[in-house]
Amino acid sequence: MLQHLVNGLIQGGIYALIALGYTMVYGILGMINFAHGEIYMIGAYLGIISLAVLTAIGGPISGLPILCLFIALIISVVFAAGYGFSIERVAYRRLRHAPVLSALISAIGMSTFLQNYIMVAQGKENKAFPAFFKEPLISHPYLVGGARISLLEIVIIASCVLIMLGLHLFISRTRIGRAMRATAQDKKMAALVGIDINRIISLTFIIGSALAAAGGVMVSMYISTTRFDVGYMTGIKAFTAAVLGGIGNIPGAMLGGFLLGVVETLGIAYISPDYKEVYAFVILMLVLIVRPTGLLGERLAEKA
Amino acid sequence: MKNKLSLWIVVVIGLLVSMGCGAKVDVIKLGIAGPLTGDQAKMGTDVLNGATLAVAEWNAKGGVLGKTIIIVARDDMAQEQQAQSVAKELAGEGVIGVVGHFNSGCTIPASVVYHDSNIPMITPSSTNPYVTDRNFANIFRVCGRDDQQGKVAADFAVNTLKTKRVAILHDKTQYGQGLADEFKKALGANAETVYYGGFPKEELNFKPIISAVKETNPDLWFFGGIYNQAGPMVVQAREAGLTAVFMSGDGVIDPVFLKVAGASAEGSYLTFSRDPKDVPTAQAFLDKYHKQYGEHGPYSIYAYDAANIILSAIQAAGTTDGTKVSEQIRKTVYDGSIGKVQFDAKGDLASSYYIIWVVKDGKFVPYENK
Repeated sequence: MLQHLVNGLIQGGIYALIALGYTMVYGILGMINFAHGEIYMIGAYLGIISLAVLTAIGGPISGLPILCLFIALIISVVFAAGYGFSIERVAYRRLRHAPVLSALISAIGMSTFLQNYIMVAQGKENKAFPAFFKEPLISHPYLVGGARISLLEIVIIASCVLIMLGLHLFISRTRIGRAMRATAQDKKMAALVGIDINRIISLTFIIGSALAAAGGVMVSMYISTTRFDVGYMTGIKAFTAAVLGGIGNIPGAMLGGFLLGVVETLGIAYISPDYKEVYAFVILMLVLIVRPTGLLGERLAEKA
Repeated sequence: MKNKLSLWIVVVIGLLVSMGCGAKVDVIKLGIAGPLTGDQAKMGTDVLNGATLAVAEWNAKGGVLGKTIIIVARDDMAQEQQAQSVAKELAGEGVIGVVGHFNSGCTIPASVVYHDSNIPMITPSSTNPYVTDRNFANIFRVCGRDDQQGKVAADFAVNTLKTKRVAILHDKTQYGQGLADEFKKALGANAETVYYGGFPKEELNFKPIISAVKETNPDLWFFGGIYNQAGPMVVQAREAGLTAVFMSGDGVIDPVFLKVAGASAEGSYLTFSRDPKDVPTAQAFLDKYHKQYGEHGPYSIYAYDAANIILSAIQAAGTTDGTKVSEQIRKTVYDGSIGKVQFDAKGDLASSYYIIWVVKDGKFVPYENK
């Protein structure tokens, strides 16, 4: 039971990290960035590539796998943030005043483009995550109540929680956070009181993409591989998590992500793996029937 | 006025096209069908290259029935609907035989078209039993069947590995689930199936399933699916502390599996055909293939033999009539590169095909050579 719970929390933490990107963009622009799942996938590739580069440079760094991983994570997050920023500039900014459908189609086009771009550039096969970097993190699991919990699993859960907590504080306590909330509530009014809307929107994409990339690196390490098409289903699930928690709502996205991950994992363990994709969407439908705004979605209803 | 002009343009273009089609050259067309684009493009190209090599040899000897052979290659993109329309195109082109398709899911619908058009078809690689179980007179295969493969694997698991408790996973595809089911059936009462389940073929996080499998405490864990999933699955299982023996089928024999799984793949058992490198009759083919195209794919040699079988049957029958050629194929014992090829009443290979392979020191080696 504990083992399944740990598996579920990790999966849920990753969903939550990606769901934050969906929910922030929706909260501010009122559109769904379907290219967000691809940013998660690109993050995973960036992590693997930067580790390969670090190993090629070699020298004293490659003797310290944890430091290497940390550097790779930073590189991946920075580059993915760049991707997020560029996507907004290229595909969404000019369509900001166009009908919502145009931006949505642009997003789907962006998603397909990025997926195929990575497929052509990096190949269609699985890319393996370098094993020796994981070695110190997984080879000595802790045994807790019959469950094997590795250091890597603890690190992943802890970082997910810390990152999300940090984001929540950033948005609720800082000046920029306040500007973001103001923009989300009413773009025109926010601009009138002197907030640079374009900067805030770019920042939203940058933060969202950075979180997704961190998720991508952690997952590819955890499951030891990645492929060009992993962004699609994970993106859909994270989007589901965002809707489940009430889209536009940050604590909601976290709650939705964890709930989805745990339900899915327990479903696989105690019912059957055959229906894996069913559990998430059954929960979603039930919640939407009972609470159409999602679990924590009052604020959105107020706004609308 | 404008409409009339465009009508004329259409008529003229139509005439030009039909003139192109009408030009008669004294050739015989051999159809090749498989995934030439998409994520299985490498496999399709392997097949096309093998068959092309055979056709080039025949043409160098003066063709068949005094006519030059040309290849009509069509891409089914590994998709069922596409396979069916490709089959209709090939039938429309008037091919005298087809080498293909690659995937069972494509071969099954396409073979209905070839059956209706009375075109002999030999698949180099489709292993689903249903391909030949319909007893179509003109459908053959030069590879094994999933029920044979499942049985070879099950016999090995029970007799050699002395397995008692088995967990079975599959990727819910026609190939993967089919193979897993045949394995389960062949185990019968000799071993207990303690876990059985499938997951989507895109899945890469297997930890939840592995935790569930681990609780059932199996000695052996069988996977019906392909190398793309087997690699990460094996790594994750070893990380989670699952010590059961890993076993799978021909879909996992690929260098990518070894690359992704690394040390975790060590000691995995797989069922596949004999290595052409160990077969004396295959050496001539391997030399020629390597000179022309580089490293051979797992199914290149089967496509080569399939093309040779169709062409020599036409030569022996002295006609391209589908019924007579199919009869000829069925009654001849053929000296192929893979060894003696003889078909049974269904169109399957009469002799056994599968052997056990094991991963040792990061390489696939036949179990007997271990």
